[in-house]
Amino acid sequence: MIAIFAWIEQTPLSIFMREDLWAFPVTLILHSVGMGMLAGGGMVIGLRVLGVAKGARLELFAKFIPVMQAGFWLAFVTGLLLLSAYPAKALTNWVFALKFVMLGAAGLLVRAMAKRVLPAGAASPDWARWVAGASLVAWAGAITAGRFLAYTNHMLLVT
Amino acid sequence: MAGDPLISTDAILRWSYDVGIFGFMNSRWGWPTVESVHFIGLALLVGCVGAFDLRMMGVARGLSMKALHRLVPFGVLGFAMNAGSGFLFFTAAPAQYLYNPAFQLKALSMLIAGLNMMLFYATTAKAVVAMTPEDDAPLAAKIIAGVSLASWIGVITFGRLLTFFRPPYHWCFWC
Repeated sequence: MIAIFAWIEQTPLSIFMREDLWAFPVTLILHSVGMGMLAGGGMVIGLRVLGVAKGARLELFAKFIPVMQAGFWLAFVTGLLLLSAYPAKALTNWVFALKFVMLGAAGLLVRAMAKRVLPAGAASPDWARWVAGASLVAWAGAITAGRFLAYTNHMLLVT
Repeated sequence: MAGDPLISTDAILRWSYDVGIFGFMNSRWGWPTVESVHFIGLALLVGCVGAFDLRMMGVARGLSMKALHRLVPFGVLGFAMNAGSGFLFFTAAPAQYLYNPAFQLKALSMLIAGLNMMLFYATTAKAVVAMTPEDDAPLAAKIIAGVSLASWIGVITFGRLLTFFRPPYHWCFWC
């Protein structure tokens, strides 16, 4: 495992991400914006299913999903770049795994809402509110894990 | 900081210490906890206000603007979470923010967002709320929405740049 981390850390990309003046900050900014689009959109859908803004047609909230998807890809690609800079720091930190458990849960819950709740409109199933509430908790959890992983790492680099 | 005629960071720090904010923020998990609140607040703010702005710009036509406006109080809740957590950051380390050019630009972006919002409510809000779900918003409203989105993304951007312009950067244009 350490050999893999060492190999990644020696790649030109990894070195560039660590040593270039703007690489890390710009990547971080784009990662935060993507997070805002993804989690923000997720929270809006969750809030609507919970009953906020009831006058706005439920099925049309699916139109915000492309915004969430764009945010996801932005966060994913920038996340890979950030990971390439400090692979050991992230992959030896259990909080990093927790972040993805939370994100996975949030994603599955949003998908459930997109498939079964949003198209149903006024005929929303009863479990919809539980799923929506759980998705809000999952987004908050993913964001929190993301913040804490910067403080809970055991190491920075292996090389 | 010596030479600042307007603000005494020492006085702010002393107050912060006396009321316990300093101690909490410098405890093992104080700072990351408050940061997490700050980021959750930003997602709520950008999500709710962003959804309203996007609809105003023409995305997801068919959604009622009047109904979407019900999301805005949750965006305000997000802003309140960030103002509160921001207050804790600031009072625990005032010199890190006050003389930080990234923070000054962040504050400027927030000011623009706020003024833009006041302009919205003073001018085109009534027309927007009276729109039918299929309508397209007036041009003035679209511009206001665009400025809103840009300024909040600016706030995120400058917020992220904060750590890169901490002391010894010292930008005090009022000193």
